[in-house]
Amino acid sequence: MDKSFFKRFDIVLALATAVLITIGVLAIYSATFGNASSHDYYMKQLYFALFGYSLMIGLSFIPAEYLSKVSYLLYLITILLLVAVLIFGRTIKGNKSWFYVGGFGIQPSEIAKFTTILCLANYLSANEARDINRPWEFIKAAAIVLIPFGLILKQPDTGTALVFLSFLVPVFFWAGLSPYFLVALISFGVIAFAAFFGTAYFIAAIVIITVSLLLFKRNFIWSGIIIAVNIAIGFSVPKVFSKLQPYQQKRIMAVFDPTTDPLGTGYNVIQSKVAIGSGGLWGKGFLQGTQTQLKFIPEQWTDFIFCMIGEEFGFIGALILLTLYIVIIYKLISNAYVTRSRFLSIACIGFASIILFHLIINVGMTIGLMPVIGIPLPLMSYGISSLLSFLVMLGIGMSAYRNRNLYV
Amino acid sequence: MSASAKRIILYIFVGCIFVILLSRLVYLQVISVDELSKDSNKNAIKNITETPARGLMFDRNGKLVVDNRPSYTLTVTPYQFDKSYLNEVAEIANLTPEKLKEELDKVKGTNRFNPVRIKRDLTFKQVSYLSENKERLKGVDFEVEAMRVYPNKFRASHIFGYTKEISEKQLDAQIGEYYKQGDLIGSSGLEQTYEEFLRGEKGNRFVSVDVKGREVGQFNDGKSDIPPVNGSDLILSIDADLQDYAEKLLTGKHGGIIAMDPRTGEVLCLVSKPDFDLSIFSGPTDPKEFGKLLVDKDKPLFNRAIQAKYPPGSTWKMMMSLAGLGSGELTTKSTIVCEGSFTYGGRTWEDHGAYGAIMIPTALEKSANVFFYKLGLRLGLENYDKFSGMFNFGKKTGIDLPNETNGLLPTEEYYNKVFGPRGWNQSVLINLGIGQGELLVSPVQLCAYSSAIAMNGLYNQPHLVKKIKNSATGKEEDVKYVSRQIDMPKNYFEVVQRGMYLVVNGTGTAKNVKNSDFSLVGKTGTAQNSGGNNHSWFVGYAPYEDPKIAICVLGENAGWGNQFAAPIAAAIMVRYLSGNSADVFNENAGSGISD
Repeated sequence: MDKSFFKRFDIVLALATAVLITIGVLAIYSATFGNASSHDYYMKQLYFALFGYSLMIGLSFIPAEYLSKVSYLLYLITILLLVAVLIFGRTIKGNKSWFYVGGFGIQPSEIAKFTTILCLANYLSANEARDINRPWEFIKAAAIVLIPFGLILKQPDTGTALVFLSFLVPVFFWAGLSPYFLVALISFGVIAFAAFFGTAYFIAAIVIITVSLLLFKRNFIWSGIIIAVNIAIGFSVPKVFSKLQPYQQKRIMAVFDPTTDPLGTGYNVIQSKVAIGSGGLWGKGFLQGTQTQLKFIPEQWTDFIFCMIGEEFGFIGALILLTLYIVIIYKLISNAYVTRSRFLSIACIGFASIILFHLIINVGMTIGLMPVIGIPLPLMSYGISSLLSFLVMLGIGMSAYRNRNLYV
Repeated sequence: MSASAKRIILYIFVGCIFVILLSRLVYLQVISVDELSKDSNKNAIKNITETPARGLMFDRNGKLVVDNRPSYTLTVTPYQFDKSYLNEVAEIANLTPEKLKEELDKVKGTNRFNPVRIKRDLTFKQVSYLSENKERLKGVDFEVEAMRVYPNKFRASHIFGYTKEISEKQLDAQIGEYYKQGDLIGSSGLEQTYEEFLRGEKGNRFVSVDVKGREVGQFNDGKSDIPPVNGSDLILSIDADLQDYAEKLLTGKHGGIIAMDPRTGEVLCLVSKPDFDLSIFSGPTDPKEFGKLLVDKDKPLFNRAIQAKYPPGSTWKMMMSLAGLGSGELTTKSTIVCEGSFTYGGRTWEDHGAYGAIMIPTALEKSANVFFYKLGLRLGLENYDKFSGMFNFGKKTGIDLPNETNGLLPTEEYYNKVFGPRGWNQSVLINLGIGQGELLVSPVQLCAYSSAIAMNGLYNQPHLVKKIKNSATGKEEDVKYVSRQIDMPKNYFEVVQRGMYLVVNGTGTAKNVKNSDFSLVGKTGTAQNSGGNNHSWFVGYAPYEDPKIAICVLGENAGWGNQFAAPIAAAIMVRYLSGNSADVFNENAGSGISD
């Protein structure tokens, strides 16, 4: 093969991904080992990993214009699927988020992860003159994300819905939203969090936000509106919380103190910490993890797959795994910088943020740093929709590298 | 900001995250590795669920009516179970080996480590065999569970209801994660309505197990354990003695009875026959027995007191009188001439007598059809629906039992839909006037209606549970129900009450059940049934001066209202008012009278 092929082919992303999905299949094999109902999951994952990987390589050759042209259509189809799943979907563990086609479960919310980013990227890049700092443009861009967010919240799959808020700030930042509005955007999240803890935190947060907004010396009307919205959010958070189902309240409380829910999520956190911690530096060896093999952690092949890595491959295994993820995220940001296509550039930032968010939440929860929110570990957790969705993102990320400006 | 600067900011952010996650891993896997390894090797924690006992039920006088008894359930823990003992264990449980295997294969994920309930209500012999062979049959065990017992002779099957093992569909659809495979859940009657209160809260016992899964002791000296909270008890409004009496009166027949205290809405007895024996469900539910109940042509699972809907027949005539007064078509002194038959649009409707110009009380006493044919036409469908709706016809009364029927209060849209806009005319009101035609009501609707008439328009939501006694705190809490005043002057009700008085105590259609000790009032009804014998109705209340009980009796295909329903209703009212001592029931109470 000639040199120019490697100049244009993102070999780093291709290799890192290949290693991760291989570890993923092995991890699922171990986590389901000896389990009558799920022992063949690793084969299913393997088939779809091979298919998805080919799809990824194929996508890396696709011209940016093709993708941007179909991005609105893909988004529209996704929204229709999300509505349809609310009506016709199958309810699993209280969430109405699945379609069943020929024995395979499909989750439209997983597909929505990349179609929403593509649509947003296309909107933000379609017109050179489009200025995200104009209120109307900003609202339209935010609506692209808030529609799937709302539909998924309705399932109700809070964890997956939160994913859609995770890339909002990075993408707007990359697309040129002024620091003033970025602070405003971040303030909404901060205030919701502070209000949950109590009035004192809420007041403190309002003061800090007000001061930082005033430091920008922008017009008072805008700052006034932003502060008013913040206060409204602050007042509605406790109200919304009191309306949640008791089990949902328990879950949120257990984030801050696992002992408040030792039967449910708290139990998982205690068990997963023991599993990972007992792995030590080198791990107990493949298929040798007592916690993994005794199935102390429910459905370990999905959201808690990182436990198995931590226990059987130890700190070294976990370090390698995290490094691979960081390489992928680093590469996506780098591709966003070097690509000639503004559309692909924004999409790459969206993909990098979404993968980083999954990593923080998923690994964070298994090591007791984050709430137990049911979202998968990208490329590793068992689940066809999620696996394919991430591979599609990486394929598009690779195509950004192909479209780069060689002289920058 | 330049793209390059933005890129650097993002790199720094990602780097920070990397450092935070790694530091935590270093802390867990390098610094506290010894401590956590100890936990993992010697003290893996196993979480054992402890099921609480369901709440009990008491009648209005504190008599225990639904109780629990301990029962032993065979459990198998799939992870520990040695499949070579499959045949032996199946034999103990009286199951085929295939069936046992199927039960074990149903289990998924972590449940492989938790005991699966295989067979409920083991005999003493089975339990002793299991205890003797405990060492050999690894993973085979038994747990103590509470099973329902009904300490009284009466059944009240439709009131109490039953529990069943939760279905896979229910498990998937549940909000939250309370129920697990094999759990019992209230599936009919009060067991279903008050499931949340009766079930209690499961407890959890944490035990340390070694890597082979053997229990080696309590975890954290039992300090982390959460004891189960038993279910709350229900204090019912029913009177056990009256329930027993009412059931006896209806045994072998098809129909429903519901009686309530008109002052509060408290249901005193509720009977639906044929019924079924609840103890079928208290132990291991035999699918054959349950299947038999499901296909039985007598529909024993069907609660006729709240689910049956039939035309009310002449028991509807008080409703018509009140609608006539309320709409201004009648005054308390108005008369309508009853000629013995009524002709409209070339068709003639018959009556059982000619009474001349009569007022409401006489019209009710004689059950004069022509009076109500004419009134129906004058009223019009809109007023008909408006006033009937005030008494919750066409709507649920809100009784605290599942699957209550709405009945059917036909509206203009209804007729347009069924017959087409040109397929019907005002003459439907002639039949509707005497409680026939498309109108359908349930016994509980009629009982609440009779009760509201007795109370001069105070409509109380019928209910079976008075109080809920929290088993943890011992506190009894009242349950809140709707009590509303129907907006009509008192004298309208007095005129109707007078008519109902004459039905029993004058020369009316139920004079055969007049009682010398208590002034019973009511109205008979006979619903024409094209498919068979007429349905027999009676609604009423007593005493006339100070109502304490309101009642509705339905006899399916039982003939005239005064022959079947009235004697039963009268006997129950007298029984209750006499402090459950008098028995005035006389099955052969006079000949049939047209109403």
